[in-house]
Amino acid sequence: MSFLLPHLGEFAWGIAFTIGLVFLGWVGAMILGTVLAIMRVSPIRAARTAAAAYILVFRNIPIPVQMVLFVFGFPLLGIVFSLFTSAVIVLIAYHAAFVCETLRSGLNTVAVGELEASRSLGFGPFATMRYLVLPQAFAAVVQPMGNVLILLVKNTSVAAIVGVAELTFTADKVAIEEVQAFIVLGGAAIAYVLICIALKRCVSLLERRVAFSK
Amino acid sequence: MLFEEPGPRAKRRHRVLEVVSWVVVAGVAYGVAWTLNKNGAFDAAAWKPFSQWGVWRQLGLGLLNNLRAAVVGMLLSMLFGCLLGWGLLSKRKLVRNPCRAFADLFNGIPILLLLFFTSLVLPSWGLPLSDFWFLVIALSLYSTAVVGDLVRAGVMALPRGESEAAAALGFSESESMWLILLPQALRVMSPALLSQMVIVFKGTTLAFVLGGYFDLLRSATVLGAYYSRSLLQAQVVAAIAFMLVNIGLSQMAAAIDRREKQRYGTQPVALDDLDTHGGGAASLAR
Repeated sequence: MSFLLPHLGEFAWGIAFTIGLVFLGWVGAMILGTVLAIMRVSPIRAARTAAAAYILVFRNIPIPVQMVLFVFGFPLLGIVFSLFTSAVIVLIAYHAAFVCETLRSGLNTVAVGELEASRSLGFGPFATMRYLVLPQAFAAVVQPMGNVLILLVKNTSVAAIVGVAELTFTADKVAIEEVQAFIVLGGAAIAYVLICIALKRCVSLLERRVAFSK
Repeated sequence: MLFEEPGPRAKRRHRVLEVVSWVVVAGVAYGVAWTLNKNGAFDAAAWKPFSQWGVWRQLGLGLLNNLRAAVVGMLLSMLFGCLLGWGLLSKRKLVRNPCRAFADLFNGIPILLLLFFTSLVLPSWGLPLSDFWFLVIALSLYSTAVVGDLVRAGVMALPRGESEAAAALGFSESESMWLILLPQALRVMSPALLSQMVIVFKGTTLAFVLGGYFDLLRSATVLGAYYSRSLLQAQVVAAIAFMLVNIGLSQMAAAIDRREKQRYGTQPVALDDLDTHGGGAASLAR
């Protein structure tokens, strides 16, 4: 295993990059996905149409294609970001569609009677969303949302195909340099599985915390 | 839709907001078109290669390659997924626990890492396969884990009477599984399997990193290297082709889902996984 020693720093950076991608991608996808979900159920037809079109496009184009298009295609239009930023943007764009669809199934669990109640108590449309609808919707979809998070963790590896030095990219590089594919790639796989297990733990803890709403 | 019947004042407000929103949408569309136009994305020169038959042929062959890998991968993973599901349902811990470990392991590893794994490790084990098989093996390893869990859920969703009746008629356990339970489970699972097909199809685009297998994304990029004005155009055409195929598959899954529901009045089986498109997502949390 001594051949790994000179590469420890690289691996640490790789894991750091992966976690950074997951964190930024998740925060962005949650925000964008929530906005899209609210648009999707709003009484304004234009907002509903725009959100539906967004989901149709971004959910059905495979993420490697989006990544390659954004990194190699868009610079021709004068749209240039650093590799890491591009990867984060694409991850957000792709997973926001999934977050939106998940959250929407949670929004559907809120009864219309509750909306009438909140209106008669004097809440406006946005206050109703903020204090009544969204908390219930999020609580109803903790587990499916956790699955989107796992999906995001796995999809951060796609950033490797455009050359972001995250875990998969580093593992591939070291595996080729040291001609030790099995150990190096197997180690990276274990790292991913560990990250996924840790996140699943957190999700089930969170689910127990929000169980009051059921 | 999540709003109650609007009153007269709310109706007026909605009309105003409606107009404002359409203006915003139109503004965004105009901005995109303007940026594209300024950079010459609509120039005749950039689209000129697409008047040639050979260009479309290359792109079409790329898409066929994607479909081929997806279909082979899906068939393999259905075969092994049934075996894995059988193992997951086994009463013996010695069988069930390794199957559980396999399913959890390959569910947590990114497909790209599996692809690197197959393409680097298999040759060193004396298996110099083609890039096609590296891709198919990586995809089916992942997909087998998912299909195995699906099969387990599908068989568990069948009424207990099915297996009891089979036992009463003298079927052995494996006979009852392969002749009675699995065929019914596969039928209930068909929308979820089609959604899985979409995921596998999306995964085939990862062949981009191999270089030896000309999938649509690779074909488009090579085309862009050849006609340097048309890189963006070729990639956008590829993206639209992927999108249309995926939408078609999702629609098919949703249609089967509806038909089965009408016929049997049962909920179709779906893992509470978000990745299930169309049919699966509909049954998420009703």
